[in-house]
Amino acid sequence: MRRRFTHFLSFGGPGVAIYSALVLLPIIVSFGYSLTNYNPFNPPTKFVGLRNYSLLFSDEEFLTSLRVTTILTVIVVIVPNALGLAIAVLLDRKGWVYNALRSVFFVPVVLSSVVVSIIWTRLLDSEGLLNQTLRAVGVSDPPGWLSDPDYALYSLGGILSWQMLGFCVVVYLAGLQGVPAELLEAAAIDGAGPFRRFWRVTWPMIAPALTVNTVILLITAFKVFDHVQIITRGGPGTGTTATIAYLVLEEAFVANRPGYASAEAIVMLLIIATASAVALKLLQRREVDL
Amino acid sequence: MRRKLLALAIGAVFFVPLYMTLVNVFKRGDRIAPEPASLPIPPTLANLDAVLSRTDNLFWVSLTNSIMVTSLSIIVLTVLSAMLGHYLARTPGLWSKALTLLLLSGLMIPPQVILKPVVDVLRFLQLMETPQTRLVGLVLFNVGYYVPFGVFVFAGFVRSIPIELEESAALDGAGRMQVFWRIVFPLLRPATASVLIFLGVWIWNDFLNPLIILGPGTGTTITTGIYRSIGQYQQDFGSLFAFMFLATLPVLLFFLLLQKQFVKGLTGGATKG
Repeated sequence: MRRRFTHFLSFGGPGVAIYSALVLLPIIVSFGYSLTNYNPFNPPTKFVGLRNYSLLFSDEEFLTSLRVTTILTVIVVIVPNALGLAIAVLLDRKGWVYNALRSVFFVPVVLSSVVVSIIWTRLLDSEGLLNQTLRAVGVSDPPGWLSDPDYALYSLGGILSWQMLGFCVVVYLAGLQGVPAELLEAAAIDGAGPFRRFWRVTWPMIAPALTVNTVILLITAFKVFDHVQIITRGGPGTGTTATIAYLVLEEAFVANRPGYASAEAIVMLLIIATASAVALKLLQRREVDL
Repeated sequence: MRRKLLALAIGAVFFVPLYMTLVNVFKRGDRIAPEPASLPIPPTLANLDAVLSRTDNLFWVSLTNSIMVTSLSIIVLTVLSAMLGHYLARTPGLWSKALTLLLLSGLMIPPQVILKPVVDVLRFLQLMETPQTRLVGLVLFNVGYYVPFGVFVFAGFVRSIPIELEESAALDGAGRMQVFWRIVFPLLRPATASVLIFLGVWIWNDFLNPLIILGPGTGTTITTGIYRSIGQYQQDFGSLFAFMFLATLPVLLFFLLLQKQFVKGLTGGATKG
């Protein structure tokens, strides 16, 4: 017994200790905060039960952030997934041109979101490259992609899609390369055209790639903060691009209301855990059905 | 041929933002806003020079901090998660299963949810005192936050190597630590490579944790350094682009050199589902 304990201490001890102190304990503390009115500038801190949670559901700002995050997540789950598959099919050939293009699509994946955000801020500026180009081809009054409340959220979705596209391409390419050529040949001999072969053979065979991409995109989109902080700061107008992650950090560190912020954070955690678990279950069932 | 042209056309459109950045690093500052897409003729090194010779040394300080935080974090992470992953993969029983589950549940916790209490824990440990202790705090949080990922990769890999090797070495009288570092760890090289690559890129590019733990004022990393310079370079886009270019260069070189491993590490997980 004692030997087993020293085995754990020497191999697992340090890792488990740091993980417990800086991840597990903070989750518990976060939940604890959410049951109080903790505010460093407005002591004393008192236990308020579930009041923060009940306030959340009539808080316009919070409900808006849920709506904003949902729209963003839907865009980011669908667009890079669909385009990524199309581009992977297009690039699924041998040759240096295709290899070089794969690298090009992957570059934004290794860029910091800070860099991506600044590049696109310049590009989508009302006097930026995109609008200069649009004016040159005769659009007299192109929109302010980031300054118009009707466009900003969709621009943000586009930027995130651009950054995540290469990831999806690479995962789909790996999936496509795992489809046995004999299977496709057999289908061709049986008289299936290219579209039918894709739909009946390839698409079911790359189900695991769809699962990976969807779950990763879902989690990435749901916790977007960097791009919002750098590009729009939640605006233009009030909260038109303020995601839930952005709101949580604003409340905790700028408005200095950690109690209320923690309630928002816990709700965020519950939503993301449920959504990704459900998505994983549904998509994996599809794989098993094969 | 038509396929190749279509692929090249799509690739070109996709590349426009990167192209714009590259040309503007070498273009005179006053020409960037009016003609963002023109070629930098004649090219200038003035923007790069302006960033490298700032009087406050923002670039060099940020670079040093980023290198220290990233290398320390990934070394500690590799050592700790390789040992913990090996322990969990080789220890049967309920206790090790429960521990694995506890670690895996940390894989998808967004940092936003825990950052406030994390800062409070670091303050309690007296790591929020000076810029130097905050760097230590950031490394510690990186280690705690990414240990589940490392353990996940290493434990999976350990299960794929035969246990007989370790058993015969143990029979020869080698201690547990010796067996692990001499026999097992060298065999884990592919797992080590993907842990180092992934965590290296993630931690280098991380913006949120340095912003909150180090603060945007003193002790910036390369990402928070860029963020801080946005305000200062409001009109000087050339310097801003040059700063981003220099900050990205290490990761980009790393990626171009290790492209195969990058893609293999990524798709290994994907095809296994």
